[in-house]
Amino acid sequence: MPLSAYLIVSAIIFTLGVIGVLVRRNPLIIFMSIELMLNAVNLSFVAFSSFLDSADGQMFVFIVLTVAAAEVVVGLAIIVSIFRTRRNIDVDDMNILRG
Amino acid sequence: MTAIQISFFVLAVASTVSAIGVIIFRNAVHSALSLILTLLFLALFYLQLGAMFIAIVQILIYAGAIMVLFLFVVTMLASEASDNEPPDRIPWQRGIAAALGFILVGALSYLLFTGQTLDNGAKASGANSLSHVVSTQGNIEAFGQALFHGFTFPFEVTSLLIIVAILGAMVLGRRT
Repeated sequence: MPLSAYLIVSAIIFTLGVIGVLVRRNPLIIFMSIELMLNAVNLSFVAFSSFLDSADGQMFVFIVLTVAAAEVVVGLAIIVSIFRTRRNIDVDDMNILRG
Repeated sequence: MTAIQISFFVLAVASTVSAIGVIIFRNAVHSALSLILTLLFLALFYLQLGAMFIAIVQILIYAGAIMVLFLFVVTMLASEASDNEPPDRIPWQRGIAAALGFILVGALSYLLFTGQTLDNGAKASGANSLSHVVSTQGNIEAFGQALFHGFTFPFEVTSLLIIVAILGAMVLGRRT
């Protein structure tokens, strides 16, 4: 398969993630859409690594994986603490910065 | 069509459909399960591309650890944050988002088809190439060599990032 086939699949999944972030208002699903975008980028990294015959792309995937894990941990902790104080996690209702 | 083309198209359709499932399911648990399916299909893509270690790590870390964390939080908040979303405050948001998404995927595909192709000078060759190291030493050995010969500092910084994330989660999760 040519490289561009993998990159187009990656572009489609990335776009679905973008649409999810724009449309949904449940913050958990917004987080899942961000995961979709990160994974789409990972797919293009692995495709480039395979086609350039170099291991550097796989290193980037490894780092992205770690960053995604850290981001999910902190983000879910923030959502849980928002839920504790406000009993509601709709993102349209979160329009003040005061506690 | 060869077997690799058939498997590519099956995987492409399956991963796209399950990614659509993530953003259209009303229930957050269904979205999470659909995301797990997408991650497994992407792991199969990595296997097809010859990145076996990344495929296994994808299944263990992403589909295993991260998604379990997600499902715990979803079930913890599910009683309140149920699937009855109130009516949208910005009614044209969906249409605009879909139109912008089509523009984005169209522009990316156009650029991918018309842009410059990779020349062979960019490819690694000889003893440096990934396929050479994999064939002489093995897949995980090739990954480890690349990680600890060129990317030692980013790897160490990663541990700092994890410490910061653990501390952040502890501070945020503490009852005040």
